[in-house]
Amino acid sequence: MTTDRIANPPQDAAPAPAAPARPGFTELTADGTAIDVRDVSKWFKDVVAVSDVTCSIGYGVTALLGPNGAGKSTLFRMLCGLTPPSRGAITVLGGDPRKDISLTRHIGLVPQQETLFEPLSAFEFVRLAGILHGLADPGEAAVKALAIVELDPRDPRPLTTYSKGMRQRVKVAQALVHDPEILFLDEPLTGLDPRQRLHMVSAIQRLGAAGKCVVVSSHVLEEVERFSARVLVIVKGRLAAEGDYHAIRDLMDDRPHRISIRTDSPHGVASGLLEHGVVSGVQLLGPDTLLVETNDVQAFRHVVASVALERQTRLYDVQPLDDDLESVFRYLVGR
Amino acid sequence: MTDLLPPGPRPTPPTPPSTPAAPGPPEVLVTGRRNPSVFLSICSLMVRTQVTRTRLIALGSLSVLALVVGAALGSGRVRNHLTTGTEFVNLYGLSLLVPVATLVFASSMFGDPSDDGTLVYLWLRPVKRWKLVLAAALTSFVVTWPLVVPPLVAAASLTKGGTDLVWGTLLSATVTMVAYTGVYVALGLRVKRPLVWGLLYTFIWEGFVARGSTNAAKAAVRAYGTSILHQVTDVPLILSDVDYVWAVAVPLVAGVLGLAYAVRRLHKMDVA
Repeated sequence: MTTDRIANPPQDAAPAPAAPARPGFTELTADGTAIDVRDVSKWFKDVVAVSDVTCSIGYGVTALLGPNGAGKSTLFRMLCGLTPPSRGAITVLGGDPRKDISLTRHIGLVPQQETLFEPLSAFEFVRLAGILHGLADPGEAAVKALAIVELDPRDPRPLTTYSKGMRQRVKVAQALVHDPEILFLDEPLTGLDPRQRLHMVSAIQRLGAAGKCVVVSSHVLEEVERFSARVLVIVKGRLAAEGDYHAIRDLMDDRPHRISIRTDSPHGVASGLLEHGVVSGVQLLGPDTLLVETNDVQAFRHVVASVALERQTRLYDVQPLDDDLESVFRYLVGR
Repeated sequence: MTDLLPPGPRPTPPTPPSTPAAPGPPEVLVTGRRNPSVFLSICSLMVRTQVTRTRLIALGSLSVLALVVGAALGSGRVRNHLTTGTEFVNLYGLSLLVPVATLVFASSMFGDPSDDGTLVYLWLRPVKRWKLVLAAALTSFVVTWPLVVPPLVAAASLTKGGTDLVWGTLLSATVTMVAYTGVYVALGLRVKRPLVWGLLYTFIWEGFVARGSTNAAKAAVRAYGTSILHQVTDVPLILSDVDYVWAVAVPLVAGVLGLAYAVRRLHKMDVA
C-alpha cells in the first residue's frame, strides 16, 4: 500500500482521511505496491546512514529527495540490492533484491557515477546489457532503447568521447533495454541540456503512465515536481515525509502559505482580506503587488475573488510562492 | 518493450548504410547473431576494457627483455648453461615476470570496475556470479599466458640450458600463473589498490619473508614454481623443497580457492 504521510505532524494538523499506520504518520491515499521497506536501518561502523525507515512504493513515479548526506543514496542502493540493510527488510516484487539474482531481470538502474565501459560504443554498451539480460535480440532492443533517449545507435565513437549529457542518456538506455518493471534513476537529469531535460522528464512520465514503478533520486526539484507528485523525503537518515507533495504541504499548516497578489489596488485588497479574516499577514511589495500569508488556502481562494468584486478592483495575478517541492523540502529539512 | 518513444515522428530503426558515405561501420548494428554467449560477451568486454595498449607494451617489454637476457646468457661464456638458465628463469621469470604480469591483468578484471563504479553494470544483471568470476579469470589467463610464457620459454631455450629447462620453465610458469590468477582476481575484489598489495606480496612476502621461514614459504606461490623448476632441471634453488606432486597440486588448488573466494565475495560485497 502506498500512503501519503508526514512524520510527526503538528498538533493542529487537519484530520487525515485514513487511520494512522503508526504513531506520527497520517495515511492519505493507497494503491499498489512494488517495493516494501520495513524498519530498515543501515550503518557504517559508527555512522548511521539510514535509520528505521518504513515505506512502500507503488507503481508510477516516486521521487526520493533529501539533502546531501541524508542517506538518500544509501537507501537507493539498498532498494537496488547493491548493499544489504544492517537491520530490517526490503522486498522488491515480493523478493529480496540482494539475494535473488533473477529479480534483476525486472530492475533497471541508472547509477550516479559517470564512468561507463569507455572503449565501447553506445550501441555496444546497451547491447551488452541486453545480452546479459538474456534478450532474444539484444541488438534490436538496444536500437529501441537508444531511440528513446535520442541517441544514434550507428555512432561508432567510443563512450570515452561522449559528453556528460550523452553519457547520462546512455545510462538511461541501458536501464531500459530489457523493459524492466522497476526503474531506479539516480539523478537522471544531471548533465542534460534544457531540451534533453524536457525530453527525459517526458520519458519518465510515460514510464510511470505505462505502469512502471519509477523511483527517481534528484536534487532538481523543479523537474521532479513535474514528473512526480509523490515524494519520499529523507532527512538525517530518517523518512521525514512520504506521499503527494501537495498533501504534505497542506499538512504543514504550522507554517502559513505565502501568496503573491498583483492588483491595481493592493491596499483595498489587503484590507478586504483582513476584514474577512482569511489572511494572517499582509505585506506590500510594490505599487501593485502585495504578499499575504494564510493558513487556509481554500478559504482564501474563495474570498479573494469576492473581495476583488466588492472593492471593484482588478486581480492581475495570484501566485502561491511556496507551494513547490523546494519549499516542502526546505521546510522538512528545517524541522 | 513498452512504447516510450515521444509523440510525433517515430525514429526509424537504422538500416545498413546504402551508400559508402554513410557514417559508422555497418557491422556495428549487425544483430543477426541472436543470443550471443553471455560468457564470451563478458570475456570480450574484459579484454576491451582491461587489456590496454599501455599494459601490453609495458609487460611485452618485460618479455622482450627476457629474450634479450636469455640470448645474452646463451651466447656468453658460462660454466654451466643449465644452471645459469635455470637461475635466470627462477629469478627473472618466476620471481618477476609471471607474478607481475598476472597481477596487472588479473587484479584489474574486477579491481578497476570496482574502483570506477562500472561493476554495477555486471552485478545488476541476471548472470550467475561464478560465471563472472570464471570469465574474468579465463580472460586474464588467456591474455597473460601468451604474453609471458612463450617468450620466457624461448628465453630459456636461448640460454642453451637444454630441454629440461624448457619443459621446467613451461610447467612452472603455467602452474604458478594459474595460482596467481585465482588469487589476484580475488584480490581485485577484496582490497582497494590491489596492484600495490599484489606487489607487496610478490616482493616483500615472496622475496624476503618466505626465505626466512618454512611456514611463510608455504604461502608463497613462487616456492612451488621454484620447486617444479628444481625437480625438472635438478638445479638446486632456494625455496625448492616442495615435492613435485605438491608443487603442482597446491598452486592449482590455490587458484581454484581464490576463484571460489571471489564468487563468495561478489555475493557478499557492497557494490558502489
